[in-house]
Amino acid sequence: MMMLTLAIILLPLLVGLALLLARPHAQARAVALLTSVAALGMAVALCASYDSAAGPVIAFQHDWAPAIGLRMVFGYDGISLLMVLLTAIVFPFIIGAGWKNQLSEPAIANGLMLLTQSALFGVFLAQNAFLFYVFYELSLVPVFFLLLRWGGERRRAITMKFFIYTVLGGLTLLFGLVYSYLQLPAGTSADFNALQEVVIVPDAQRWLFWVLFLGFAIKMPMFPLHSWQPDTYTMAPFQGTMILGGVMLKMGIYGVVRLVLPIVPHGAAEWQDVVIGLSLVGCLYAAWIAFRQNDLKRLVAWSSLSHVGLMCAALFTLNATGITGALYQTLAHAIGVVALLYLVSGLQTRVGTTQLDVMGGLKVKMPRMAALFLLVMIGAVALPLTQGFVGEWLMFNGLLDVSIWWTFIGVVSIILGAVYMLYAYQRSMLGEASKLNVADADETDHWVLVPLIAATFILGVYPQPVLDLLTAPVQQLLTQLH
Amino acid sequence: MSAIILLSVLGVVLLYLGLGKNKVLLAPVAILGVAGSAALMLFDQRPLPAWAGGAMLFDPLSVKFCVAMAGITLLLFVFGADYYKRTEENVAEHYALMVFSLVGAFLLTSYQDLLMLFLGIEVLSIPLYILAGAKKRSYRSSEAGFKYFLLGSFATAFFLMGIALVYGMAGSFDLSVISAYATANVEQAPALFLIGLFFIALGLAFKVAAVPFHFWSPDVYEGAPTLITAFMSTVVKTAGFAAVYRLIGVHITALPPQVERTLWVITGLTLLVGNVVALRQSHFKRLMAYSSVAHTGFLLLAVLSRNGASGQAIFYYTLTYALASVGLFVLFTAAKRAANGDEHIRVFRGLFKQHPLLGAAALIMLLSLAGIPPTAGFMAKYQVFVLAVQSGFVWVTLFAAVMAVVGIYYYLGIIRETFTANEAPVRIELGVGNGAVIAVCAIGALLLGVWPMGLI
Repeated sequence: MMMLTLAIILLPLLVGLALLLARPHAQARAVALLTSVAALGMAVALCASYDSAAGPVIAFQHDWAPAIGLRMVFGYDGISLLMVLLTAIVFPFIIGAGWKNQLSEPAIANGLMLLTQSALFGVFLAQNAFLFYVFYELSLVPVFFLLLRWGGERRRAITMKFFIYTVLGGLTLLFGLVYSYLQLPAGTSADFNALQEVVIVPDAQRWLFWVLFLGFAIKMPMFPLHSWQPDTYTMAPFQGTMILGGVMLKMGIYGVVRLVLPIVPHGAAEWQDVVIGLSLVGCLYAAWIAFRQNDLKRLVAWSSLSHVGLMCAALFTLNATGITGALYQTLAHAIGVVALLYLVSGLQTRVGTTQLDVMGGLKVKMPRMAALFLLVMIGAVALPLTQGFVGEWLMFNGLLDVSIWWTFIGVVSIILGAVYMLYAYQRSMLGEASKLNVADADETDHWVLVPLIAATFILGVYPQPVLDLLTAPVQQLLTQLH
Repeated sequence: MSAIILLSVLGVVLLYLGLGKNKVLLAPVAILGVAGSAALMLFDQRPLPAWAGGAMLFDPLSVKFCVAMAGITLLLFVFGADYYKRTEENVAEHYALMVFSLVGAFLLTSYQDLLMLFLGIEVLSIPLYILAGAKKRSYRSSEAGFKYFLLGSFATAFFLMGIALVYGMAGSFDLSVISAYATANVEQAPALFLIGLFFIALGLAFKVAAVPFHFWSPDVYEGAPTLITAFMSTVVKTAGFAAVYRLIGVHITALPPQVERTLWVITGLTLLVGNVVALRQSHFKRLMAYSSVAHTGFLLLAVLSRNGASGQAIFYYTLTYALASVGLFVLFTAAKRAANGDEHIRVFRGLFKQHPLLGAAALIMLLSLAGIPPTAGFMAKYQVFVLAVQSGFVWVTLFAAVMAVVGIYYYLGIIRETFTANEAPVRIELGVGNGAVIAVCAIGALLLGVWPMGLI
């Protein structure tokens, strides 16, 4: 498995670099799409070869700078694989989303996207804390350029804000990792399996928790650290937003599971109520603001914020059901949000804006598009038989173990979610026939949306394979927690 | 030691070469000479003796520092071959003075007693006073030279006073004796000894531009010819830190608590002032000056951690910092020429669009200065963080991490310019030599991070 693990990181990296340097404008999209499909194939092969009973796999290790704890160790367990799979699944669609309305200078844009993908694979496959950190920060660089170059209004200021926010979180995380690493016996490197053994006195865990958690909380983002997110999501080009909302925010969830909970379990238990409380407040608050939005892209941004709040709360239930639910939901949300953003971008190109009050009655002009929208939305509001439902069901079950009141708040946010989604659908599609002259969904739209919708229902009806990936590693995590 | 002798001879030879009409030989001789001294340093495998009655000792770390500084000087000479072709001023003297300054830098890495330290500082600085003011017709350059000289002399005076006081109390210039004296009196240090240490610290703080003795650096950086600015921000800074580390990292490890506290305050202020003031700069050389003050803060953190690995970390940090900033200065000079002498960071605008490779090189070097993985600059900062936390300076390190974020902001400002399209893009003309220097610097800044080659 060594070759496959390395190849999945190297392939997008090398192709991405080649695209950046050679800049073959004509074939750039096709090359990028092929690469991402190949990466998907490799990810599926990796999952197929994984035997969850046998436990975590270390696929590759090599000394890098062992004197400071840095080793090149790649490997995976079920949670890593879920994240790899998620990244691999959504990227072909993200790249495919640019098929019709490509960004200017497609070679550079697609090259940057592949570089991001490579860094994300690195994040999810790294088995050493500092190696993880290297990829974690590295993933920011191509995204920075994507936003800076192809972003919308006020992109300079917003990109800087985004970057500074996440780097601040990153550096405090680095500090926390260094601190934790130094609690290990001298001469050990900061591999995950070594860090899981680290013993940190409860007093130190109390502050160390926040130092470690801050970066991930910003990345998700958790209320009240979210202020960069709606602006960035709205300003970014659609493909950039898909990357941010589809995959990058999941690095936050993954980071908590991989680094925060195992290293500072006492800290997590101690601050459990605060984190859940803040998450749920954010969840409700974001849902309320989403409800008030007139801009569809902003609505998606705020709804994403709301959903992430719930995931974060479920993570901190610190029980198997909640954590499994949150992890399952990362996949569900990724697929959902990419589809949703694709739709919004489709509307944007046709109508010329994402303002809801300009739309209305579009269903008459674009019946197929409206149907696709409806299906995507069903997934987004987590109707039973869709994948969102499975995740939410698990998350609420987890939350119930902690407190019925927390669960109640979560449920209210979900109801609000259904309301604003349906309301948005009503405002854009239903009503008196639109006077706008717009084209209906075409072939590309179907190529992108139908597989995503299919995935929504397949995962909703038959979630077991994914849950199987998670059972063993979540159990292992729980033994570390208690 | 043979390397130092070779360099001194080289300086004189260069001066003589300058007397002749034909100056073609100058750059090759200078380059070969410096390369030769580096090779002597590295391959002279005879057991390292103590020189000048034990006043100097070349240990493995000082050898490394010397080789690195010679290497950086070499890069600058290659840059100079092109740089001086255009300005055509007293080229021979410039090369010779830089070589003499390098001799001082070598002394600073290997002294074993305070007199040799003083000698090293003076040999390093006096050529720089002249070089900083080298553009005689430029008002700013003259001001820079004068300011540097005046403030430098003040610092030297204090420094000398400090040595005298320490000598008076400890009874020797020998660092091992002084160190023993300091250890014996660490709780209740006599006032005169304390004052002496403060004055020595002040002199050194001036050399490495630590707050509050940093005020000269932006003006001098701005006024001096760019080549000299690059020399000051790399070789001189490296030498300064090698000296500081040798003094309080290796020898006088038991500092009285008052001195220790003062040094921590200086470190914190240096981090704060350097980074925050750099935020407001749009003039490239001033920005580099303030950011160099900020890097001084990180380096001080490594010095004060006084861990077994500090010297190594300081070496790695200064080397990677020097690589990135030399490359940027070379690039800046070319861009400035294309922009008719503009010295603001906007000269980088549109660089990537026009010259993708140069843009990529600039990106790598800037990311390295900012400390973003996987560049060498990240490894350097990371090492410093590890050292500092290891030594128990948890809160200072956290503060340094936050300051590193501020640093990222202004480096990103330049990156943003580089990648912003310009309406009227300018073509940058770069000689083969300069292109090679930039390539070496950029590749070095990336490679040392991805594959540290035993340097960590």
